[in-house]
Amino acid sequence: METVCLDIHPHILLAEDDPELLELLTIVLLRAGYQVTGCDNGSQLLEQLEQVESYDLVISDLRMPALSGLQVLESQFDNPFCPPFICMTAFGDEETHATARRFGAIAIIDKPFDLDDMVELVQMTFSGKNKHIYLRGVDHEHV
Amino acid sequence: MRLTVKITFAVLLGVALIFSAYSYFSIQREREQLKINLSREARHIGESLRYVVKELWQQRGKDVAINFLQKANQEYTQTLVRWVWIEGEIPQKFQPRVPVEQLDDLFNEETVALLAGSPEGGDFLLTYLPLLTEEGRIGAIELSESMDEMHDYVQESLRRSAIVIGVSIGSALLFMGALGSIWIDRPMRKLRAQAERIGTGDFTTSVNLPGGGEIAELSSTIERMRGQLAEAREAEQIANNEKIEALEKLRHTERLATLGQLSAGIAHELGTPLNVIAGRAKLIRSVGMEPADISRSATIIGEQADRMTGIMRQLLSFARRGKSQKQAVDLNVVLRGIQPLLEPTAREQGIDLAIEETEQPLPVFADPAQLQQVLLNLTLNGIQAMPTSGDIILTSCHPSTVEVPENIEGKDASWVCLQICDQGTGIEPENLRQIFDPFFTTKDIGQGTGLGLSIAHGIIEEHGGWIEVSSTIGEGSCFSIYLPETPRGKLV
Repeated sequence: METVCLDIHPHILLAEDDPELLELLTIVLLRAGYQVTGCDNGSQLLEQLEQVESYDLVISDLRMPALSGLQVLESQFDNPFCPPFICMTAFGDEETHATARRFGAIAIIDKPFDLDDMVELVQMTFSGKNKHIYLRGVDHEHV
Repeated sequence: MRLTVKITFAVLLGVALIFSAYSYFSIQREREQLKINLSREARHIGESLRYVVKELWQQRGKDVAINFLQKANQEYTQTLVRWVWIEGEIPQKFQPRVPVEQLDDLFNEETVALLAGSPEGGDFLLTYLPLLTEEGRIGAIELSESMDEMHDYVQESLRRSAIVIGVSIGSALLFMGALGSIWIDRPMRKLRAQAERIGTGDFTTSVNLPGGGEIAELSSTIERMRGQLAEAREAEQIANNEKIEALEKLRHTERLATLGQLSAGIAHELGTPLNVIAGRAKLIRSVGMEPADISRSATIIGEQADRMTGIMRQLLSFARRGKSQKQAVDLNVVLRGIQPLLEPTAREQGIDLAIEETEQPLPVFADPAQLQQVLLNLTLNGIQAMPTSGDIILTSCHPSTVEVPENIEGKDASWVCLQICDQGTGIEPENLRQIFDPFFTTKDIGQGTGLGLSIAHGIIEEHGGWIEVSSTIGEGSCFSIYLPETPRGKLV
């Protein structure tokens, strides 16, 4: 777990069980100017969400040990203070997408994705709050 | 043909019997009639002679009368006439041909007619006409007529009867043979050929015999049966085709499902490292990177590529497991063989690895390398399921009772069993059903691809066996591998 504090910047809670991808995403988001807190499983994610209420955005993998991202999302469904969720998944089937959307995810991004796409998605989230954006797959041609 | 012959014989036997009886009785009757006629004739002659003899005896004396009788024989020899005495001292010359006792009726002056055999073997009809002489002594005129003529006649009758019976039997045989062949044998042959055709499954030829007899009825019955069988077979074929089609569809669906599962697994397993590689490459390209960071990114790219290579290798080994090199092996030997391979890993985690094997060898026909792979997979799983120390027990045994799953062939085979029991965390009941599915894993990313158990399952199934799992959360899991035993003698 790693916390970087830059008070004026939005704070992102990042959950990913693959350490390499976690590290990479943290670096990229930091370079894009966000505060990032990382955790490598679902229960840590839930703990963070329940204890610290100052996150502006959650980016979470759907499949993780202990608790899956989907389960965390479900548990936060009726929490009015829950920050928006962006979900990452390698099982990009319709059903997973629909389930995540039903539980309130604002965006679902399929692995593998372009890091620029991710940054763009995060930026769009912060510029047009509460707007639900759904990205399907990685669309390199438009980048 | 045999049936015709039997019927012909039965009929002919009856005809011959009736005919013979008829012949016998008619010959008997003719014979009687002939005898009566002859007897009457003899009596007639005798009466005339008696009159003459009586006259001569009275007028000219005894000797003239007897001489007259002797002379009568000179002209006609068919009937011999003699004078006989039947009373008092009888000289040889006047002795009757039959003993006097048989001629008692003569004393009552009645005529006696009887049949007698001569010493030469011929039969004679004897007629005695009594004559009371003047001196009061009873004598008789004896007329003896040979029956040879009558015998010849009877013989001839018999011969004719025999010829008639023989000819009628012969002609009846020919006639019945010809008719039987036309009426019975030919249609029977046709029906037999038809029945044989139907028996071999040829329902195309139609046989309809004309007429209204039993054979024609049988023919139409066979014809109906042929139609019904043909319909039944057609219906069965249609049902069979439908079944095959449905099975084919099911298999196709299953293939698609497996393909989908595999694709999802591959996507997941390769997606993350690909993501890392692409991201790190982008980082390297970006401005303002420290040389140390670039170097670290490059290292990570290499590592992730290796990880993907590993996954690819496992996938390939899953895809082309290759033909197994089966031979007769002792399961105990395979079991002992993996101990040195697992011992270091187990010791490192503080796990005791115990092997309990049967005293007798457990011969199976299997690929030892593949069996070893299965055992390694299962045991390593067990070790990984025990984060703290514990025991893993590998047992080989001859189970006393085995519940053979329905999809396994050879229900009556003798089974041997290998058990791998750990004291690990156990498997969640809802996961038990899926553990043999490819890419199903509960391990952390990078710890397992979810192919190990799937490969093990495939190998054991290919060896004609199956794997059973029992597990209790918090207490451990037990994997039992069942394989068909081969006869002991084959063990190398």
